[in-house]
Amino acid sequence: MRDEPYRWIEALQDRRDYIEDELRLGSPVVGVIYNEGMMLLTVGKGQRKIFEVHDRIALSAIGHPADIERLRMLVTDTASVQGFQNATEDINLHRLTNYTLAPAFKQAFESIVGEAYIIKMLLAELGSASGKSQFTGINFDGIVRTDPSFAVIGGTETIETGMQKYLTAAKMDADRDLTAAFRLALETWAIGKELSSREPEETESEDTQLDTTQMYEIIDTAREEGEIEVGVLEASQQGTNKFRLLTSQEIEEALQ
Amino acid sequence: MNYSADFLNLSGTEHQELAAQRAINHKGDFLNLLKHANYPLKIELPPEAARHAADVEIAHSTTVIAVLYRDGVMIAGDRRATAGTSVIYDRAEKVLQIDRHSVLAISGSPAIAYEIARILEHSFQYFRRSQLQELSLEGKLRMLSRLIRENLSMALQGIGGVIPIFALYDLNAIEDGNGGKIFFYDALGAHFENVDFATTGSGSIWIRGVLRYLSRFGETALHEMDQRQAAITILRLLDIASEYDAATSGYNAKVKIFPTVKTVTRTGVNTVSDDDLTDWYAEAQPEAGTV
Repeated sequence: MRDEPYRWIEALQDRRDYIEDELRLGSPVVGVIYNEGMMLLTVGKGQRKIFEVHDRIALSAIGHPADIERLRMLVTDTASVQGFQNATEDINLHRLTNYTLAPAFKQAFESIVGEAYIIKMLLAELGSASGKSQFTGINFDGIVRTDPSFAVIGGTETIETGMQKYLTAAKMDADRDLTAAFRLALETWAIGKELSSREPEETESEDTQLDTTQMYEIIDTAREEGEIEVGVLEASQQGTNKFRLLTSQEIEEALQ
Repeated sequence: MNYSADFLNLSGTEHQELAAQRAINHKGDFLNLLKHANYPLKIELPPEAARHAADVEIAHSTTVIAVLYRDGVMIAGDRRATAGTSVIYDRAEKVLQIDRHSVLAISGSPAIAYEIARILEHSFQYFRRSQLQELSLEGKLRMLSRLIRENLSMALQGIGGVIPIFALYDLNAIEDGNGGKIFFYDALGAHFENVDFATTGSGSIWIRGVLRYLSRFGETALHEMDQRQAAITILRLLDIASEYDAATSGYNAKVKIFPTVKTVTRTGVNTVSDDDLTDWYAEAQPEAGTV
């Protein structure tokens, strides 16, 4: 088969189609900055989807729970050991992404007889003296994208484009407070959810024309069988550890 | 190499091996993770070196005190580090924050004690991050026991003994009750809960009786004291310890080096500021004319 490279490319394309199909219905994740730090938001169905990796790094993902768990442990173990052997300040997202996660994603994707990771990952790193805040998205094929102010992951590119458009139109500014950022992220999530529930033939267009009432209807329906989950990296948090999950009370208050 | 079932030699076996390795689930056990990462947890001395180990002058000796007061635990330590009869450092921090609600006060060999404190801090974090829940109070106590026991060979060689006090606040304590808890460890890692106070280090023998007296017959029982009263008591006790123990430092007025004083309460760990200590130190002094 080595003599037939086109079959390898074909196999990769099949694999891409298969993974995208598996991911299409995943609940999107939205990351935005606000005046106190950074936020990751999703609506889950019981399984936790937003995690603490290290002092200033949070992780979220869509995909198969077993793959998410395995890769989450890979990056958490790596960061924990390195942070202990050197100093916690030496841990940064750039190195974790480029030397630990992205190669593992790419290798699994291209080793077409091995198992593929059904996953898309979104990580957030709160800036410190040595670097700026940034969101990093890693696709199942190992392609990395970074953005300083917002990022989304959704099942397909169309879903992601639709969500990004909404965020771009809302104009990102770092002065937004926690509640405003929460609502923006939640509305963006609703757009992603709407796009992902359409039939594959319909999803050519990323325009949803949803108004706010419709968005909150989608959110209310989703909340009947799941929960809003929000993780924040707060610069004001005392100590070196900046991550925390918002409590259900805080989420209720922000929804008022 | 077997190319029979692959495309362009991307057999996937290498990756699968890696994945299998990564699939080792450490179940939140940071020590296990460090062992897999080949981090040397113990310093292995050859037997002939171990025989002389006790002759080496290693920095140690200290006085650390923890008392249960109204809001939780107050824990303090002097700042001196010594080697034999020499003072080698006057700003040592012997009271170390481990997480939001726990503090370790160390006496003994500082190199090992700092390492234990660091492993402990990372262990609690690793457990929370990987297992998605806080390590329980009992789990935290056991982890420290394990670290002290791992260090036993060093302690027996006379160069790395560590006797800490571990103070924490139990958030599950009933709302109006005092969740402050103080634990004392022996060199083998057994832990004992102290109800009112604990003190360790070379200067502790001079003040243990005083603490006992204060807790039983004092005007205000230790656990009823407010922050100011507890701080003044502790500063006075450290002063007494430094009077009789050469390895414990008092307050250095020239350069304003105070003992480290921290509180562990429901709201978390807090370091008492130098400004507060300046005021309280003035109050803690005997009146002019007394000896």
